[in-house]
Amino acid sequence: MITGARHGKLSGLRRLTALAMARDLRAFLVPGPDIARAHGLDIEAAGMQIVASPRHASVLLVVGAIPPPLREAAAVIYAQMMRPRALFVLGSDELDQLPEADVRENLSQQYLIKGVRRLRTAFAEGAFRSDVADFDAPMLHARIEYTCPMHPEVVRDEPGSCPKCGMNLVAREAQAPAGHTHTDQQEMIVDADMHATSDQDHAGHHGMDHDTSAKYTCPMHPEVEQNEPGSCPKCGMNLELRESQGTKSHEDAGINPDGDHSGMDHRLMDHGDTAFMSMIDVTKDLPRSSDGLPMDWIDVPFGPFFPGLPGGLLLTLTLDGDTVAGSSVQTLGGNEELLQHSAMDSGSFIERLARVESLAPVSYRLLACRATENAAGVEVPAVTACARVGALERERIASHLGWLALFGQQTGFDWLQRCAASLQLKVQNAGIKQVLALKPDMEFLIKRLQRTPLLKSRTAGIGRLAPNAALHGPVARAAGISNDARSTDPSYSALRFTPVSREGCDAQARLQVRVEEITHSLALIAAAGVIEPPTPINIGEASGAGEAVVETPRGVARLRLTLEKGRVIAAQLETPSTHHLALIDPLIQQLALGDALVAIGSLDLAPWEVRQ
Amino acid sequence: MTTALVLLLLAAGAYLVAVLEAWTASGRFRLAAPVVAGIALLGRESIVPRKPDRIFFEVAPVLLLLSALLAAAVVPLTPDLIITDLATGALFINAALVYVLVALLMAGWGPNGAYAMIGGWRFLGQLIAYAMLIVMPITAVVMRAESLLTTQIVASQASLWNIIYQPLGFVLFFVAAMALAFLPPFDLPTAKGELAGGVEAEYGGVRLAVFRLGRLALIITLAAATVVFYLGGWQGPWLPPWAWSAIKILAVTATMLLAGHAMPRIREADLLGWCWKLGIPLALLNIFIVGILVLALP
Repeated sequence: MITGARHGKLSGLRRLTALAMARDLRAFLVPGPDIARAHGLDIEAAGMQIVASPRHASVLLVVGAIPPPLREAAAVIYAQMMRPRALFVLGSDELDQLPEADVRENLSQQYLIKGVRRLRTAFAEGAFRSDVADFDAPMLHARIEYTCPMHPEVVRDEPGSCPKCGMNLVAREAQAPAGHTHTDQQEMIVDADMHATSDQDHAGHHGMDHDTSAKYTCPMHPEVEQNEPGSCPKCGMNLELRESQGTKSHEDAGINPDGDHSGMDHRLMDHGDTAFMSMIDVTKDLPRSSDGLPMDWIDVPFGPFFPGLPGGLLLTLTLDGDTVAGSSVQTLGGNEELLQHSAMDSGSFIERLARVESLAPVSYRLLACRATENAAGVEVPAVTACARVGALERERIASHLGWLALFGQQTGFDWLQRCAASLQLKVQNAGIKQVLALKPDMEFLIKRLQRTPLLKSRTAGIGRLAPNAALHGPVARAAGISNDARSTDPSYSALRFTPVSREGCDAQARLQVRVEEITHSLALIAAAGVIEPPTPINIGEASGAGEAVVETPRGVARLRLTLEKGRVIAAQLETPSTHHLALIDPLIQQLALGDALVAIGSLDLAPWEVRQ
Repeated sequence: MTTALVLLLLAAGAYLVAVLEAWTASGRFRLAAPVVAGIALLGRESIVPRKPDRIFFEVAPVLLLLSALLAAAVVPLTPDLIITDLATGALFINAALVYVLVALLMAGWGPNGAYAMIGGWRFLGQLIAYAMLIVMPITAVVMRAESLLTTQIVASQASLWNIIYQPLGFVLFFVAAMALAFLPPFDLPTAKGELAGGVEAEYGGVRLAVFRLGRLALIITLAAATVVFYLGGWQGPWLPPWAWSAIKILAVTATMLLAGHAMPRIREADLLGWCWKLGIPLALLNIFIVGILVLALP
């Protein structure tokens, strides 16, 4: 039995299709394949195919705990999936926005395989049912509001006539939540924008009441703002309507705020009153692109579960044709509180940090360990420090391989995706012998990358970033800056470490730096001779303030914390992705969509570590 | 009778292409996978997205399939196994395949989704890149055969296959055919990592099944056309004609499918740039060389 069964009796031919569906499970991953791999899951080996669009998925696979904004986005994805559909949850128990999970298992490969087996049975037995309930959640409903065609500031919840001119008000969809209405079982109509918890959706949910999406402000005194129309207390001018933030950006981008949040409502087709559709008339109000060609600009959400971007990242691009004219980027995965309570004991603080930063758990565990040790004034023996280097470098290899897999996925380079992903899974938790034994495989991968046609044209000159202080990690090293927290680390100097660096400043240089760092880290591991994940040292009842830096795979992370009697009472984390997130907008201006995604991908963002 | 037989063979071919495609994409060879996936798709819901252009949305998958079938109608598998041996066959293939563009544009516009629409426009750009490189190499092939009859084109290669007679034309046609079938690395309209499926993204259930079937038929038709134009069609020693056709078509298909997985997707600007600045001059050169050969050789 599955809750998302399709309506109908399970008999005859349907039994056959149910069996076929049970064999052919296609999963849409939340938050994304990158997170699944970081948790050591091999979805395809477990017998499910990963698909890029929720329309093609039969299983929504939620990996690990996800924060509320992502749950809401996941519910929209679930609604976009075609029945029969099932919800498969790994290692998470609070998913309030989504329906009851059909299969729930622990977060490991073994349980994943077990869960897939259970899912197959559930599909075979319950893909069709005569008593199915619709999935319904508040964010799926469109709110209809009524407005006057002449006076856009008049917005009412009920139909009626305009108080200013007496015209009949016309219905339109409110900006707030993404729309979704049901007609019947066969033809459920779901919003066409994929993966969209649209930007307005979120603007609407950030501390704003849905009913007061409009604010009135004085044209001369922008600081004057109120919910009702009226006159300005400073200059007496009539206040003007200013719509909520989501809409505002539409106006800035010059898009007709017609209520359709995708901005492309076949509007040009709907001019029923004009027999001849003049292109000059149609395009006269449209913004001009850099090439002077007027086009319909559209806002397109990419994420938070977009196949070519790290899971949890929500990117909204204003596209002019397929050129990026504007963008906004935010993380729905990050900004998690570091401290769960006002004071956590250091051991559970370390565990928590490692769990929250699930894309680089070893680095952040090490960071937390070092910071507490520094605060408590404990010295770590050189042997332990060296073993930690091994673990950190192993994670760097795994992380760069994961990046290569995501890059392969984004650019349709299937071989790279498969090869890098399987190596990542093998390296991730391997002992030193296995890691060193994988060296030929990695060298083969690297050699083949150097000979790949089209790879150069795909990356060269894209996403150019001049050297500056906001760059971290491989991104900085690809711009010729060899700032690397490892350079000053005594345990690295003992291994004769020198950072890799390149001058290209573009996506190609970043790719090369990461690839070289893989071999580089292998050499460091061989020199260290031991891999041991950092374990917290007993610090007893120590008090004090401490600070530590770790060169994570994405760049320098810095943690400051304060201890009081062995408990962490304050913590402040600085991460590379936070800086890199702010670089995106200028980076992708006027790039074609494909190039813009490569440019963003080349930064290797981890939405989970962003703090703003 | 011939029609039914050709359609049957086409279906079998499409099935094998599906197996090959799954094999190259996932690395696992499973003979039953496409049939299971097909049945599962037929059993699923097929949602119409919100505010669709309903006619475009419904017609696109069918049109894609039809356009591939129309082109297949003039491709001979053996001297007799051809649905209709049109006097304008070589030109007709090209004309029929233009509807692929129409189908993809409709599939892009129909569902009112941004990803699909961008995918549709991308394919329009792609057409501008590949179209000349389909027509111009065919022109050179026709020049040698002195006929637009596809059977005559095969017969003209009795002494020497066109792949050796005009290798440049073969390379150009092969690449352009891959672009026309939006196979990787030319899968710009359906890019998974860039558009989450693009024109396919909003289709599901039966409609998606038809769309994918149309795509498979398109691939096999183009492979068959390549065999007819450049690889001597059914000709070959020892084996019967139909076997040679089958072997050659499958070999071409496998090459097309394998080539794309070892490289990233091409940039649209590069595709257009290379096709126009490099491809078209080369195609003209090919016509020129073939012209001289036709005049010089008896």
